[in-house]
Amino acid sequence: MQKLDELCAAWAPRLQSLLRIIAALVFLQFGLTKLFGFPYLDGLSNQPAFSLFWFAAIIETVGGALMLVGLFTRATAFILSGEMAFAYFIEHAPQSFFPLQNDGNQAVLFCFVFLFFAAAGGGPISLDTMLQRARR
Amino acid sequence: MLDQVRATWAPHVLSLLRFMSGLLFLQHGTAKYLNFPHVAAFDNMTWNSMVGLGGIVEFVTGALLTVGLFTPIAAFLASGEMAIGYFTVQAPQSFFPIVNRGELAVLWCFVFFYLAFAGGGPWSIDALLKRK
Repeated sequence: MQKLDELCAAWAPRLQSLLRIIAALVFLQFGLTKLFGFPYLDGLSNQPAFSLFWFAAIIETVGGALMLVGLFTRATAFILSGEMAFAYFIEHAPQSFFPLQNDGNQAVLFCFVFLFFAAAGGGPISLDTMLQRARR
Repeated sequence: MLDQVRATWAPHVLSLLRFMSGLLFLQHGTAKYLNFPHVAAFDNMTWNSMVGLGGIVEFVTGALLTVGLFTPIAAFLASGEMAIGYFTVQAPQSFFPIVNRGELAVLWCFVFFYLAFAGGGPWSIDALLKRK
């Protein structure tokens, strides 16, 4: 039992970084599909410039890329968390109270995952940590 | 100053993430077995189908994760279920999660995998029991 505790304590920070990378990759798709049509999705891809979705796509692309490499993780995560909260309340919440019926599961989950990273940082496998080490 | 706030709050935000992801997960279990919230696609589901068996896992681990009881074990099971779900249902349709509608499964899988190692944080029944 003691050994399991040690194993968990050693791996939790690395898995925090892994979660950051996966969440960023999934998130980045939303930006890329809206801006560049890759991967292509009917109805979502190639948004007109300066529309609401276009601005969201800029946040998602830049923020997703920063989260992926773990640069300025906390500030970025805070902005992305806010964007998802905003998206949930204007896009999904009006349709139904339940995320399962308003298709807002992902927005809620992204919102809280990013909120966690805003508080906890990007973990050991990130540019933030590398830069911090280099500065010392 | 800001660093201090973060250091104090990070564990609590972890608990918040556990609570919200658990609640969202539980929702899938209750939709399948209690018809609440109602989802038409689950109307003719049987318990011994893939969807039905998944629903049992979602119901039980979702409830445990929401309150933070046996977090590591519940999270590990839920993570495994999402991995199976992703590779059997979503992955065959397309490589990209945004196209195969598997974003949620991927995200859940890694959130729960992290929780399996990090535990449920200070706001959980696990933490309450440990304090006694």
